[in-house]
Amino acid sequence: MKLKSLILKKCKKKLDLIILPAVILLIIGCFGILNSRTLINSLFSLDVIDTATISIFVLIAATSGSQTPILSSAPRYANYSDPYPQAIILTAIVIGFATQALLCTIALRLSRSTPLLKYEDLEK
Amino acid sequence: MIDSPIFFAALTYTPATLGFLGCIKPKTVFPVAILTLLGIAGLSLTALQTGFEISYKLIWTGGIEFTFDKYTFPLLFAASISLLIVLSTYRDKLSHYFYQICLVLLTALTVSFSAQDLISIYIALELTGFCAFILIADRNDNKSLFHSFQYLIGGGLAMLIYLIGVVQGFQFSGSFLISDLSTATTPALCLIVAGLLTKAGIFICGLWVPNIYSHANRQSAAILSGCVTCAGVAPIARLSDGMQPIENSMVVIGVLSAIIAALYAVFERDDGRALGWSSVSQLGFAILSPSYACIYAMQHGICKTLLFTTLSSPIQDDESIESAQSAPTNIPEWLLVTIFVIASLSIMGLPFTAGFITKTWLKGDIPIEASLITSTSTLLTATVYARLIWSRCNTYIKNLEIYKSLDQYKQNLLNPQSIVLIMSGILIIGFSFSYQEAYYYNNIQSSLAAVVLASFLYTSVAGLQTESFVKPVTRTLDLVGAPFVVAALLLANLFYFKI
Repeated sequence: MKLKSLILKKCKKKLDLIILPAVILLIIGCFGILNSRTLINSLFSLDVIDTATISIFVLIAATSGSQTPILSSAPRYANYSDPYPQAIILTAIVIGFATQALLCTIALRLSRSTPLLKYEDLEK
Repeated sequence: MIDSPIFFAALTYTPATLGFLGCIKPKTVFPVAILTLLGIAGLSLTALQTGFEISYKLIWTGGIEFTFDKYTFPLLFAASISLLIVLSTYRDKLSHYFYQICLVLLTALTVSFSAQDLISIYIALELTGFCAFILIADRNDNKSLFHSFQYLIGGGLAMLIYLIGVVQGFQFSGSFLISDLSTATTPALCLIVAGLLTKAGIFICGLWVPNIYSHANRQSAAILSGCVTCAGVAPIARLSDGMQPIENSMVVIGVLSAIIAALYAVFERDDGRALGWSSVSQLGFAILSPSYACIYAMQHGICKTLLFTTLSSPIQDDESIESAQSAPTNIPEWLLVTIFVIASLSIMGLPFTAGFITKTWLKGDIPIEASLITSTSTLLTATVYARLIWSRCNTYIKNLEIYKSLDQYKQNLLNPQSIVLIMSGILIIGFSFSYQEAYYYNNIQSSLAAVVLASFLYTSVAGLQTESFVKPVTRTLDLVGAPFVVAALLLANLFYFKI
């Protein structure tokens, strides 16, 4: 309970609290990419950062409300989430996927000569 | 000028369409592509001279905003001219799908030069990154594959950092337009600028530049230096024109880049790598002034493309056959050397070259306190090019007899490759007459003094064995961590130092 109240005190706004997990994920990803010793590790870390960025986008869009953004007169859809960032982040998801695919291809090619894909072997 | 939005939308997307069509019918589309490039170059040159501007929305109300203005046209001109030079001089050495990728790259570049909102810039920069990745990996050996991996992972990370900055800005303004970014918080601006600096290849985010230029094919390196690094310059110039904090931080970053990278270039002995460091230094110099950044980047891009195109000769003293193979064919050797010297002199800023004019404009725009920095950077750059010119001419004079016996020496100048090179040489010299006011006594004196001093400086550092204390930066950690460092540096500057 003490921890919860502390966090609540730190994060005065509601928004800060809900994006906190995504920010933690981002830090984990950055830690991973800066400490990876093989190509595969940094590839995974990049994916983690990608996911964290997308989550931040989606969570920020959802601050105004979490209902599906469909225009209608019914009161059910009164406080819907902002569709604009959500639509835009779709592009980033696709681009992230394309980056991963290209990186995997290169890792596959490089693994023929250096099967362990360690940076110290490749950077010589 | 034509001011219909449809025309400019078509102008943006024609190269990509041609590129994809060219995958199906490569032989038929190639001449069309060359004509399109010529058309774009001519159009942007006319627009540059008349000061034409147009702003339109892609799908009228609430659509994506594009602006073709003084930031767009110089870079568009540089990109199309660089592509023309490379595609025509290396025509018989282009690998499969090379020119198609270049055309897709041109569309991505046009979008990034003209887009007004941050998300379009993000998409354009990612597309540029993919194209650049394919161009680097074109050589298809382990070294270049690994470097392209580093480029892609560093670029991808930088763009994610940029995206986090964008969403932070969105939180406060509710839109993705550059003009609405003035309400954004400082961390958001720092993250956005760090991402853009990485793509532009400016120190210290630009550590990838020298590695890649020395390990890619000559034609890929020419395209990368001529257009890809410019993709980040236009958004940076746009951002720093509107916002005072960014403009002030750009001075710090630009000065660091201009001096440190030029020092690296002086002590570097590998030609491709030295050109890479010099590119980092020159672009750092360019972003010092937002209003002339694009035109300086244009001059630098065209000269760098020419330098990379003419760098290799068929006969080399120490290097392997590989270097000989990368030289363009069908062009007399003396023409290659002449163009190399003209392009080098232009980057050094000698009078009667394009570099002299752009350097004068840039010098007039930055604060007077920074003149010491610009002089130092000019001197160091001139030292680098003094060495390059010296070694290139030396190789040529030594092997003059062999060249005379080769068929290459006697070739006539009327083949397309030579004509393109001659035209670009004339372009560089001809541009210098467009602004007569630059030719006053002090200005000419200072640039000549820089060149003479640089030759002396070169003779004093020529004998240094620099391999022991200048090591190439190849670790992935350094390349990947650089954007974080720059973001932190900017943040510290904006909060505490306030330079």
